[in-house]
Amino acid sequence: MHVVNPIEVRIALLYSIFYFRGMADVSVRRRFQSSNITIVISIALVLIMLGLLTVLILKAKTVSDHVKENIVITLFLDPALKDTEILALQKSIDVEPWRKATAFVTKEEAAKSLQQELGEDFIKTLGYNPLSSSIEISLRAEYANNDSIAWIERQLREDSRIEDVIYQKDMVGAVNERLGSISLVILVFSGALLFVAVGLIFNTIRLAIYSQRFLIRTMNLVGATQAFIRRPFVLKGIRNGIVGAFLAIGITVGIVLIIDKNFRELKLIQLADVETLGILCLFQILLGILITWISSALAVRKFALQSTDALYMN
Amino acid sequence: MSTDAIINLNKVSVFQKHNLVLSNVSFTINKGELVYLVGETGSGKSSLLKMLYVDVPLAQGEATIAGYDIAKVKRKQIPLLRRKLGIVFQDFQLLYDRSVNENLYFVLKATGWKNKKEIQDRASEVLDKVGLVTKGHKMPHELSGGEQQRVAIARALLNKPEVILADEPTGNLDPKTSEGIIRLLKEISETGTAVLIATHDRIVTELFPSRTLTCVQGEIQDSLQ
Repeated sequence: MHVVNPIEVRIALLYSIFYFRGMADVSVRRRFQSSNITIVISIALVLIMLGLLTVLILKAKTVSDHVKENIVITLFLDPALKDTEILALQKSIDVEPWRKATAFVTKEEAAKSLQQELGEDFIKTLGYNPLSSSIEISLRAEYANNDSIAWIERQLREDSRIEDVIYQKDMVGAVNERLGSISLVILVFSGALLFVAVGLIFNTIRLAIYSQRFLIRTMNLVGATQAFIRRPFVLKGIRNGIVGAFLAIGITVGIVLIIDKNFRELKLIQLADVETLGILCLFQILLGILITWISSALAVRKFALQSTDALYMN
Repeated sequence: MSTDAIINLNKVSVFQKHNLVLSNVSFTINKGELVYLVGETGSGKSSLLKMLYVDVPLAQGEATIAGYDIAKVKRKQIPLLRRKLGIVFQDFQLLYDRSVNENLYFVLKATGWKNKKEIQDRASEVLDKVGLVTKGHKMPHELSGGEQQRVAIARALLNKPEVILADEPTGNLDPKTSEGIIRLLKEISETGTAVLIATHDRIVTELFPSRTLTCVQGEIQDSLQ
């Protein structure tokens, strides 16, 4: 017959107690960790979306600026002007704030390009070159709208050296209208996304804090001040926000790099854009901190101010 | 009202949600008194205690506790008021994610104690008072119900309260353990702290007879009168 050694029994008992205690601690720890992971992931997802959207908006602005800066105003010049006078005129335009670039087209160059277009030598037919020299001005994006152009046109027409000012009025209107509506759609979409995203994070954090509402209650009843109760929750929230933001930055930069590698023509990463990307990363970190800070503080406040009865009714 | 009065109620009405459960409640509890608040479940004992620790607002009448006028107390003052009270619950309400010592340290830190040595000394002092000086490192779930309630009482004693409000402190305990808890509360009252115990446990009130406030048909009968 096997005799049970009482010491063995005690050891087994102790082992089982420690084992179960260890298990309980691990499960509690896991629960807290999993709620942290959920928060970090949702913050990261939201920040990635917002980051990519910001890149899109910035890119859209570059594209729209590019389109706008391709609008050309052509100045037909007095044929009597000498080259030096034309050069002086071009220089005076070059110092204007609204000019992006100017190009002097001599009447010979103009004739050459018209000949190529028409496919016949019209100078020979006519016996002289009827074209006049011109200056082509492309505008800065912010001046490329009908109001500014009308004002620029008036200013230019006052100059006696200029015979005529020509630009495609209809096209300027159409470009601005289209770009305006596209920007509006993107802005409304971003606004809605930001709203949904902040709501989502707010709810996730509130749910995590909701699970500890009785802990908050106990703190409250032993005479802890609101600020004292809030501090650990807010600090934990901010920590999650920062971790989420760094995760988001990594993924956003990764996505931008992949797109840039595959679609070089988009010129996603230019020298000037490095600064923009830096600002974008900073924006993601700040937003991550701000959202988690406000959400945790509001959620703790909500549960800390409720009476015990209201907590049970939740 | 005598200068020893810790709790003074004058024509107070007590509501549960919107139902009036007690009306015209007037009594005074002095320093060092042990008072039972008895009555059936739902008779308004807990609601009266909640009103005293400002968990629910005072709807009607005048009430002062530990020098605070409950009707006029501002939200920012509530933590300060609660530091003058010790609250003990039926379900202990300890923080189960930390050890007994950490539970006590937390309350001390939350109520403005800064010096680590003083915090540790005060914690072991109160644990000594409730006979648990060797159990400070344990987690609450490793203790028996009676021991957990003793920790809750130790916690209530930390800031040397003027009054202890105990809401069914023996509700979850067996008679033998209950007796120990009430004896402890009685000893505390003998050191000068007023103790108000809400209970429906007749054995308790018979073992340690003291002044009793009974909730009957929406009113309070005082055994002193």
